[in-house]
Amino acid sequence: MREVNISEKISKVAYIPIAIIAAILMVIPVYILFMTSFAVPSDILKPHPDFFITRFTLDHWRSVLASGNLWPPFRKSFVVATITTIIAIVMAAPAAYVIARMPSKIKYPVVLSLFFTRMFPDVGIALPIAVQFIRLNLMDTYLGLVMAHLIVNLPFAAWILVGTFETIPKDLEEAALVDGTSKLTALSKIIMPIALPGIAVTAIFVWLNSWNEFTYALYLTISDRTLPLQIYYYVQRGGIFDSATYAAILTIPVMLVTFFLQKYMKSGYLAGAVKG
Amino acid sequence: MRKFYAKLIAILVIVSLVGTLIAGCGGGSSQSEARKKVLKVSMGLGEVEWEVMKEHIFPPFEEKYGVKIEPLQIEAGDLIPKLEAMHKANAMDIDIITQDNMQLAPLVAKGLVEDLSQYRDMIPKEVIPSLVPVGEFDGKLYFMPYRPNVEIAFYNKDKFNEYGLKLPTNWDELLEIAKTFKEKEGIGRVIIKLNLGPDSTVHMFDLIRSAGGDPTVLNDEGSIKAFEFLREIYPYLSPDSKKADWNTPVEYLAKETVYLVRNWPYTANVLVEKYGKENILAYPGWAGPVKTSNVLGGEVIGIPTGSPNKEMAMKFMEYLMSKEVQEKLVTKLGWPSMRSDAYGKVAEWQKPYFEAINEALKHAEPRPNLVYWADVDKAINGALREIIFEGKDIKTTLDKYHNMIEEAKKAAESK
Repeated sequence: MREVNISEKISKVAYIPIAIIAAILMVIPVYILFMTSFAVPSDILKPHPDFFITRFTLDHWRSVLASGNLWPPFRKSFVVATITTIIAIVMAAPAAYVIARMPSKIKYPVVLSLFFTRMFPDVGIALPIAVQFIRLNLMDTYLGLVMAHLIVNLPFAAWILVGTFETIPKDLEEAALVDGTSKLTALSKIIMPIALPGIAVTAIFVWLNSWNEFTYALYLTISDRTLPLQIYYYVQRGGIFDSATYAAILTIPVMLVTFFLQKYMKSGYLAGAVKG
Repeated sequence: MRKFYAKLIAILVIVSLVGTLIAGCGGGSSQSEARKKVLKVSMGLGEVEWEVMKEHIFPPFEEKYGVKIEPLQIEAGDLIPKLEAMHKANAMDIDIITQDNMQLAPLVAKGLVEDLSQYRDMIPKEVIPSLVPVGEFDGKLYFMPYRPNVEIAFYNKDKFNEYGLKLPTNWDELLEIAKTFKEKEGIGRVIIKLNLGPDSTVHMFDLIRSAGGDPTVLNDEGSIKAFEFLREIYPYLSPDSKKADWNTPVEYLAKETVYLVRNWPYTANVLVEKYGKENILAYPGWAGPVKTSNVLGGEVIGIPTGSPNKEMAMKFMEYLMSKEVQEKLVTKLGWPSMRSDAYGKVAEWQKPYFEAINEALKHAEPRPNLVYWADVDKAINGALREIIFEGKDIKTTLDKYHNMIEEAKKAAESK
């Protein structure tokens, strides 16, 4: 009892400083990115740039926005990430529900088999996949990239959702079935709303993965670049400020998506769902 | 409700099938006719360079031949897997490429480029002769000359003035400069690229050849001298030497964490044009104990195997080698010409860099086009790692890697 009290006290005292340190560590790189994109070159191009800048310029943003090189890659990345997310959720959610309701002896081999395609590094399988996609005329198409991103994301989406559905008591749907609802209605009206936090997490995960994806985009693109490929171009070509500005732009939708979806990630959805 | 879900699933299946059919089945012959009116050109260029291509180089050709040029930005390293994928899918979609001459061997070894030997006469007689062998492998011509390039030494004028230093012209002076910067600032400010990749191979080629050695032999007297010198200067080099590639020196020079480094001329465009760093100047570089030697870099032109518009690609290839285009490239971009008769007036700010490039080009030597090039590359960097980073004996280590190269050579010959 005494030990519990001490560990509770330690965690209470340490919680805030650890949370602050973790937040700072995560925010600093993003801050540097934005700072560089608004900085006057001479404030950055020196051996020890200041951590806080006092002079600001919009020149880098103006030049990126006016270049005509931003919107096509931005649109492609956004559309591909969004479609990939929708398809991944539509396909993975019902599959994960079924897997979650399987007997343990079957369920775990099935979950493991989901990861079979993830056992190989993307770089290793990107070439054969690209060859097949090119044969199907999927080079430089949204559809090709969506399909490639699904290869990466579907197993993870299904895996996360299996975990989500496992936490939902079977009694809940049985109670609904006793009340006369069909299985599909029970799934859509009762199970899915309860699974919403898990689905939201999965959606964020898939969207971010697709938004940032590089390897398949590199293989399956020759003219219409995605945003990560565009940043890669500026990094390769030595443009510090262009790279920083493009990278800052890359993070804005990430922040927005996370912000809007996080309201679904609330705990306590199951509290009181099943009465004794 | 059941009916609703059944309908939804059916619609989804139909939509996906139709989508796949549309994507999979193109327009047949009309599509291939339309493709003939398009010339897909792959180059790896910066924004300013693309502007010149799109505004000054492509339009006259498009007008003359009634073709639309579709420019594709593909970096040299990325071009190989992309071409490989299209080649394996039997669906080549790029008509013509300009490629870094350091990355030609994989294209030939994998059969990704056409043998252009029968078009050898297309090379203008005014071409600088040393540029032609760059495109030859086993006596066959796979690439046409296009753009010669060479590394020059970039230096921070202010720092050299501050410490009253003269630009080093030989190894002894280079060692002294490196020592002085280290003594004055407590950290090395000179870079020799030692990233154990293609970039360190280029610098090792320069060092070994300028000491009279042959990097493809690696245990001769010149090679030993080069490694001895490198071991001596290494403690005074910038710690960034270990990660310096063709790209990072721009940042080091811009942030003034490095004061002297040999790098490719595009460095000047970024530093001076983009960042306004007019205190970063350039000169041809330093000589070794035997001679001055610089690896001949640059780009060559190739036709991917199965190019859908080969006939037009050949015309474009000839156009790129013409005096008209070469003079424009000199004038607009400050690229040295592949032709001895192409002169242009470079921008004022570019003059010192352009002069340095032309001077360095006088001592430029191409790397040999070896089928077993990958083994030579591994051997040089393996020796570099063991001798410089791990402190192993120079002669013993070089003998070991010499044998490795010899074995690779024999294996290649037996094929």
